[in-house]
Amino acid sequence: MAEILLKEVKVIEEISAKFKIDGKVQRERRVWVTIDKDNLIALCNFVKELGFEHLSAISVTDWPQEGRFELTYHLWSYSEKILLTIKTKIDRANPIVDSVVPVWQENAQIHEREFHELFGVEFEGNEDLAPLFLEDWDGPPPFRKDFDWREYTRQKYYNKENEREQAYYD
Amino acid sequence: MVEQATKMKRLINAIWIFNWFNSCGFTELFPLVGSRWDMERFGMIITGTPRHADVLFIAGYQTMKSIRRAQVIYEQMPDPKAVIALGACTMSGGMYWDSYNTVKRLTDYIPVNIYIPGCPPRPEAVFEACMKIFHHVGAVPPHGRKFAKAHSG
Repeated sequence: MAEILLKEVKVIEEISAKFKIDGKVQRERRVWVTIDKDNLIALCNFVKELGFEHLSAISVTDWPQEGRFELTYHLWSYSEKILLTIKTKIDRANPIVDSVVPVWQENAQIHEREFHELFGVEFEGNEDLAPLFLEDWDGPPPFRKDFDWREYTRQKYYNKENEREQAYYD
Repeated sequence: MVEQATKMKRLINAIWIFNWFNSCGFTELFPLVGSRWDMERFGMIITGTPRHADVLFIAGYQTMKSIRRAQVIYEQMPDPKAVIALGACTMSGGMYWDSYNTVKRLTDYIPVNIYIPGCPPRPEAVFEACMKIFHHVGAVPPHGRKFAKAHSG
């Protein structure tokens, strides 16, 4: 398999020569790289020089049992035609991570703004983390797994005394 | 008062509609535009600006962010005006009854004249609602309905 996926393996080798990573060729044109959060920005700068100049998405996964948020950066290289996925885990109780806005500019800005709103992740270095979709939001970040949205909705919008809204409390 | 009613009836000879659609709400009115139901034969035309609109169509679930824009659009429409809510999600949140970010009672935010139930409503039901708008025009007070009166009606 390694013979066929030469360019994918080469990307991992180039990165692991400089950084301590856990790399894996997922399949053709898909590479996963896991790194600790302290070296994230250095790695991002490095892979951007390698040609991964398009940040197509950032996603956050909540792992409440583990007490961690997993941040995933999806990067596309137009020259190599490889989708590189950088994964890093941060503390759930203290979710602070360095912003990648200095690396990918506006490309990263809107994603970080969204995940600040939905998960409460602080991106240090991002200057505009104003609410994006939720105006006048007063609850906890809604995409966290421990957010009981049904109970929140009952308390905020419905009245248990109202006969016609009894069905919402069954 | 009778003069007032005739005057306003003259104002609404055709229903000019401004659409405020979220998500699948758009597909609910979509067949009406086509040739099979053809809403233009009843004088229903979709306008590009609320300043020209007589009727505001609200469809799809309304989020807390979008309902504010709907209120601004409603305020921009000239009197006499009417609001029609299409479909279950618009009226009560529908299948999104337990969502933290959707509107549960539309009348809390905007004065609604006619509700059209259904998911989605049949085109015939939309036509019937628009017929009722013509009858309703006579009952509209001279300066239109205001937000504060939304519950009393």
